Amino acid sequence: MIEITIGHYLTLAAIIFSIGVVGIFLNRKNVIIILMSIELILLAVNINLVSFSIYLQNLVGQVFAIFILTVAAAETAVGLAIIVIYYKNKGSIHVETINSLKG
Amino acid sequence: MLAHTLFFYFFSTIAVFSAIMVTVSRNTVVSVFFLILVFISISILFIMIGAEFLGMIMLIVYVGAVAVLFLFVVMMLNVSQVNIKKTSRKGFINNISIGLFVGIVIFLELLVAIGGWKYKADFINLSEINFNTNITNTHALGNILYTDYIHLFQISGMILLASMIGAIYLTFTKKENIKRQSYFEQIEREKSTAVELLEVENDKGVNLDD
Amino acid sequence: MEYLILLLPLFGSIISGFFGKILGQRSCEILTSLFVSISTVLSLFIFYKTLSQDYSSNKLIFNWISSGEFNVKWSIFIDPLTSVMLVIVNLISSIIHFYSIGYMSHDPHKSRFMAYLSLFTFSMLALVTADNFLQLFFGWEGVGLCSYLLIGFWYKKPSANAAAIKAFVVNRIGDFGFAIGIFLIFYFYGTLDYNEVFQQTPLFAQNKLFILGFEFNLITIICLMLFIGAMGKSAQILLHTWLPDAMEGPTPVSALIHAATMVTAGVFLVIRCSPIFEYSQTALNVVALVGMTTAFFAATIALVQNDIKKIIAYSTCSQLGYMFFAAGIGAYHVATFHLFTHAFFKALLFLGAGCVIHSFKDEQDIRLMGGVWKKIPFTYILMLIGTLALTGFPFLSGYYSKDAIIEFSYLKGGAIGNAATSIGIITALLTAIYSWRLFFKTFHGKYNNKIQKKSSIHESYLIMLIPTSILAAGAILIGFSFKEIFIGHDSLQFWQGSILFLKFFHHDDLPMWLLIITPLIVTLAIPVSYYLFIKNEKIINNLIIKNQSVYNFLLNKWYFDELYNLIFIKPIKNLGLFLWKKIDIGSIDRYGPDGLSSLVKLISIKAVNFQSGYLYHYAFVMLIGFSMLLTYLILY
Repeated sequence: MIEITIGHYLTLAAIIFSIGVVGIFLNRKNVIIILMSIELILLAVNINLVSFSIYLQNLVGQVFAIFILTVAAAETAVGLAIIVIYYKNKGSIHVETINSLKG
Repeated sequence: MLAHTLFFYFFSTIAVFSAIMVTVSRNTVVSVFFLILVFISISILFIMIGAEFLGMIMLIVYVGAVAVLFLFVVMMLNVSQVNIKKTSRKGFINNISIGLFVGIVIFLELLVAIGGWKYKADFINLSEINFNTNITNTHALGNILYTDYIHLFQISGMILLASMIGAIYLTFTKKENIKRQSYFEQIEREKSTAVELLEVENDKGVNLDD
Repeated sequence: MEYLILLLPLFGSIISGFFGKILGQRSCEILTSLFVSISTVLSLFIFYKTLSQDYSSNKLIFNWISSGEFNVKWSIFIDPLTSVMLVIVNLISSIIHFYSIGYMSHDPHKSRFMAYLSLFTFSMLALVTADNFLQLFFGWEGVGLCSYLLIGFWYKKPSANAAAIKAFVVNRIGDFGFAIGIFLIFYFYGTLDYNEVFQQTPLFAQNKLFILGFEFNLITIICLMLFIGAMGKSAQILLHTWLPDAMEGPTPVSALIHAATMVTAGVFLVIRCSPIFEYSQTALNVVALVGMTTAFFAATIALVQNDIKKIIAYSTCSQLGYMFFAAGIGAYHVATFHLFTHAFFKALLFLGAGCVIHSFKDEQDIRLMGGVWKKIPFTYILMLIGTLALTGFPFLSGYYSKDAIIEFSYLKGGAIGNAATSIGIITALLTAIYSWRLFFKTFHGKYNNKIQKKSSIHESYLIMLIPTSILAAGAILIGFSFKEIFIGHDSLQFWQGSILFLKFFHHDDLPMWLLIITPLIVTLAIPVSYYLFIKNEKIINNLIIKNQSVYNFLLNKWYFDELYNLIFIKPIKNLGLFLWKKIDIGSIDRYGPDGLSSLVKLISIKAVNFQSGYLYHYAFVMLIGFSMLLTYLILY
């Protein structure tokens, strides 16, 4: 336990991943929390990649992590734009009221 | 190595705690702040582990752009305080048990899936780029990013372009009743269509209604 | 030529049944009557050939079943017995066809009626011309079906429907026994062909059959089973309940089916299987006992009935009992002779009753008739001839056949023979009494009808009277003409192999008192019944009041219907209700179709909740699926 190995980092990534996944369907507030949970998931994947990259002495992991960063940013932008439009049309982004897919 | 251990545990605890608080806290703005805290602590971990370029980039891009964007949207939209009624509280408790159960299952499976990897005897190096400790991490990344992975680099640029166009198109509305300058029309004006010479008789005036 | 006899009525029936609307009612009637008449002429011709040249033939129509060792043919088999039956069936059927043209003139469904009559004729012909048990069974079922169709002809009447179903069901019970008999025959003999069965019977005479640990003689069981079928078809006691109710059908139907042909199919069966019956004395005794009981029992009921057709129906039942006990004592030729003559005078009586009913505008209760003998003289004479023939008045046909039965039973001797003789004489007395009661109450005495005026009673149509007179002529002449041929000393020469006698009767020395007693009784009965029923009715009324319970017992047909209702109908009906409500609806439907459909509905209502519209629900489900997949991949 004293010696920090790759396993610790992987465990940390797994924990944050689980928290992100649970956060998607356990929130009762609004849709933005979902987006934030998705960010957490992506972050956990990043931690995985970087720790593997360091421990295997290979830079490919970090390169891929940069790209993930890029794509995450782009996706967040579009997601938030959608939320803004949705709010403009429906007037609220409370999770309980978003059920027009029902049926 | 002790410092390494201490730092790791300290910052990882902060990260996990903040991640939990992101999903659990009542106020959405507070959630965003805790998200920022997660990013910062993870960034510190990255710097500690030796990938300082990525740590800094995370600070700049994630915290500086994405989280701020979250804050903008949260402030802009009327995310009212959630009134947790009694019934939804009960539903929450029902949900939380099965949700936690599924979350723990995911977590354990991840451990098993990746932990099984730990006992692999031989690692195969996917590329022959090794760490050269004479150059900084940034330099090393730059060496391979613009040479071997140039295609991915360009494509990620196009992804950013696409998302930008998408975001602008979604949220941009042209208001109909606002007067605007259209300089194309201004430049294109010609004397023959703009000015007209009229003979005016005495006491008659000019009819401007056409 | 034989093909035409069998197939002409079938064609008539098909054409009239399916194309009746197109052809029109009148042409249907004429067509079917014509076809059956041609068939009659041909069968008379065959009878003549049989009489003069000992003609017999077996013409194959086609091979019906041929599977392994089981071979059944459709063929027309003519031998002396068959030729007699052919004449009876065809002649009476054609007369009835012509009669119905007049009787059913007010009915809108004439073509259907004619089609059914011709179909019945075809089935009966198939029955009598069979040369194996399966074709016989086909004809048997066919006449049962036609009986159902014809009794329920006026299907809008609920009582007619009920009577038709009752006839069919009671017949079915008999058919069940018959079928078991056929199965036994096939199982042990390996064939259903008459010739082979009859030839092999002596070899099986001592075989035993083990049922539930009890040992029975094989031939006895077979004969008893066949006889149960005959009991059902010929309305012997225990299975007789359908015959009086069958009077719901039109009168021509009663004349054809329930007097002359269908009910004699049972007698025909016993006579045809005489080679088998001769080897089982037990079965013959049972046949004789049942016949005797039925004859007596039906006659007692007929004494007190008030519906004209029901009296004649019970009379049929009683006369069939005579035929059966004639067969049971081994005098098959006498039974056939009585069948022959009975067909004529019973059909005559029914048709005459039909004329009476027609004259009284559909009134059937004899208490509401009377005193019209001058108004409808022709009908009067016909009914007189019929009643004389039925009671056995000397020198008419009934006298020859009925007295022959009594004489032969005396000749047989023994317990059965003596019992048969005495019952025969007593029943003859009862027959005379009720027949004359019917006759006098209908035509003599006071005019009792409240609805009709006496002046409006008029004679029936000519087309109804002429066929009936043909029957009357037959009733008078047949007995005298054919007595020697059928039951005389040389009658074996006529019957040859169609009837088997293990020990032939010699009709020689008979005591004088036996020969005199029956004609004397029936002649004396005429003035006695006239006095009792017309002149001085008080004696009868006092007798009824003093013995009210006996009167009720007889009036309610010995309470057979009530007894059957209690023992069989009610429990089975309750069982059926229980099975329907509790098991069919409650269990099978509930767990089967209804259960499945409501289950599908419930599941789909639950499944709709999956489509809640909430995004996080969908994400949750995706997650669960993903974790299950991961678990599967990890574990395997």
